[in-house]
Amino acid sequence: MNSGNDEAITVDKFPFGENSNSATPLVVETRGLKKTYFGKVDVPVLHGLNIRIHAREFVAVIGQSGSGKSTLLNILGALDVPTGGTVLINGTDISTLDEDELARLRSDDVGFIFQAHYLLNEFTCLENALMPITIRHGEANEEQTNRVLHLLNRVGLGDQINKHPDEMSGGQNQRCAIVRSLANAPKIILADEPTGNLDSRSGEEVFAMMREMNRESGVAFVMITHDDRLANAADRILLIEDGNIREISKEEHRREALRISKQSGD
Amino acid sequence: MKSLFGIFISALVPKKFRFEFQLALRHLLSGGSQTLLTISAVGAGVIIVIFITSLIFGLEEMMTNLLTESIPHVVVQVKDPKPDGLQDAENPVSNKIEQQTSQLKFIDNGEQVVRTIRGLPNVRGVTSVVSGQGFASKGANPVGVAVIGAEPELLDEITPVTKDLVEGKYRGLGSDEIVIDTELAKDLNVNVGDRIHLTSSSGQADSFSIKGIYDRGQGRGSAYVTLRNGQSLFGLGTSINVIYIKIYDIYDVEDLSNTIMTLTPYEAKPWTKDFSRFLTNIRMMEASAYLISIFSLIASAFAIASVLVVSVLQKSAQIGILKSMGARQQQILTVFIFEGLGVAILGSALGALIGMTIVYLISLLKRSDAVIGGEPASLFPVKILPVYIGAAILAAIISTVIAAVLPARRAAKLNPVDVMR
Repeated sequence: MNSGNDEAITVDKFPFGENSNSATPLVVETRGLKKTYFGKVDVPVLHGLNIRIHAREFVAVIGQSGSGKSTLLNILGALDVPTGGTVLINGTDISTLDEDELARLRSDDVGFIFQAHYLLNEFTCLENALMPITIRHGEANEEQTNRVLHLLNRVGLGDQINKHPDEMSGGQNQRCAIVRSLANAPKIILADEPTGNLDSRSGEEVFAMMREMNRESGVAFVMITHDDRLANAADRILLIEDGNIREISKEEHRREALRISKQSGD
Repeated sequence: MKSLFGIFISALVPKKFRFEFQLALRHLLSGGSQTLLTISAVGAGVIIVIFITSLIFGLEEMMTNLLTESIPHVVVQVKDPKPDGLQDAENPVSNKIEQQTSQLKFIDNGEQVVRTIRGLPNVRGVTSVVSGQGFASKGANPVGVAVIGAEPELLDEITPVTKDLVEGKYRGLGSDEIVIDTELAKDLNVNVGDRIHLTSSSGQADSFSIKGIYDRGQGRGSAYVTLRNGQSLFGLGTSINVIYIKIYDIYDVEDLSNTIMTLTPYEAKPWTKDFSRFLTNIRMMEASAYLISIFSLIASAFAIASVLVVSVLQKSAQIGILKSMGARQQQILTVFIFEGLGVAILGSALGALIGMTIVYLISLLKRSDAVIGGEPASLFPVKILPVYIGAAILAAIISTVIAAVLPARRAAKLNPVDVMR
């Protein structure tokens, strides 16, 4: 790509037809987002990103290892703080929030799915799925419990709800983690290689679930992936390269993937 | 859907803390042997505290009782006048201070003073006494003896005679009767029923029939007559010269003596004045009990802190995911405080139970040198003080929670980005 000037590129191309753009609210927006890790040698990771993600979108983020994908995701989810620029989540500038307000924001507006499911072994599948509600409210009420039960049924875990994570398969655990990320009905779900630990079949199942949840509830997804097929199934693809981000077309992505696979001699 | 246990939690734990409580509980339950170990550490601390305090306070009580049961706790008498010596400046014949003569100084409003003292707090018993020196004789050889004239029933409450009797009786002492100790009986070669002659230091004399003989095993004791006989022996008329007081809390004696001295013109001497070294020893024993208690609690607190530090390390990824789901720092802190609290409550309850059982079992051990027919004395004089058990539990809980705070704060401050790689 034409690396060159400091003028950051705004990535905001809404995929659902020209006229629906204004009607769909902006969920996450970054302006000139920068992140540098300070240490013996300062490592600049993100060089000023402008990203806009709307409700109902399913965005794949690709890039080589160490390109800053996870860092970006953590910042979008208010887990990490940028060293420059602004992050707006659901319209709120997160730099204005204190520790407790950030926690509340993570609870209400953001869901996380990680490569490892990180379910709590001390709790059952249902209890794990209800965890964000329990954290937020102390206890889930009947309506919340029913909603989560419905979601568990939807992802095919209806008969697993009383099992503990170590009694379920990797795919089942990851599906439970998806339901958990949806428990508080967030605006956006940030998924960091959610299928990375799964075999390809379970991975596809899990991805299909996420896509379905995205279509059904309208929650936006930002998914980091190394799987080119999954990236191609997203609404749009963002490539992080040399600390910058740009949107690439699926055609371009296919060419890029081919080039990389040739380079690495696959 | 809700288990019985779930209902129990809903009833007991405020909704605000249910997440923290649930998580702490699951941590403890899934901790298994680790949880048992920490509970045992707290329990051991509490057991040591209960054991040491029961033993030392029991010993202290036994020693103090042995010492004070036969003496009055406060003795009220007329103040010694300052010896004159050089003050007689007009005729300074000699500046040698004269020894006080054995002349008795008397309390003439005795009954009124006794009534005043009886109304004071902490007073268990008060009695008027005539006390002086005399000679007892049976035939030729007179033997020096301390004479105490008092009402037997009242004196028995204060410096018991009846319980040390080896022969005869003290209660119901008649007007010409006397109770003496075995030493005097041996010296005079007399027995119950014999008559002896008594001459007081102020010259009056009378003869008495021996009603009882006692033995305290403390060397030469006093000879006991009625108050009336004492008054006439020492020529006091209806006056007395000493008031004996027994109190409930023997360590609170100074206050009482001071009160008496402000209310009356007499000197009130607390028992502690004669036994200051004994008291110092008692205080040192107490201090060592407290020190041992504190150190054992500190040791168990360290054990708990180290287990919790490891537990926080093990759970750092979990803490990270909880924070990514919106758990606040305060919530994570509370989880680990609850864990510490749970360990503390279970451990100290267990420790108190085992500690009290041990102390009870020890109190059953009897000394082998018991007298035939007599009640065998305990091998270990233990004393279970509920207030110390309560204090031990409270101290264990507080030290455990303090030990939990440090790792808990560390857990709360963990950065989810750092722990979920």
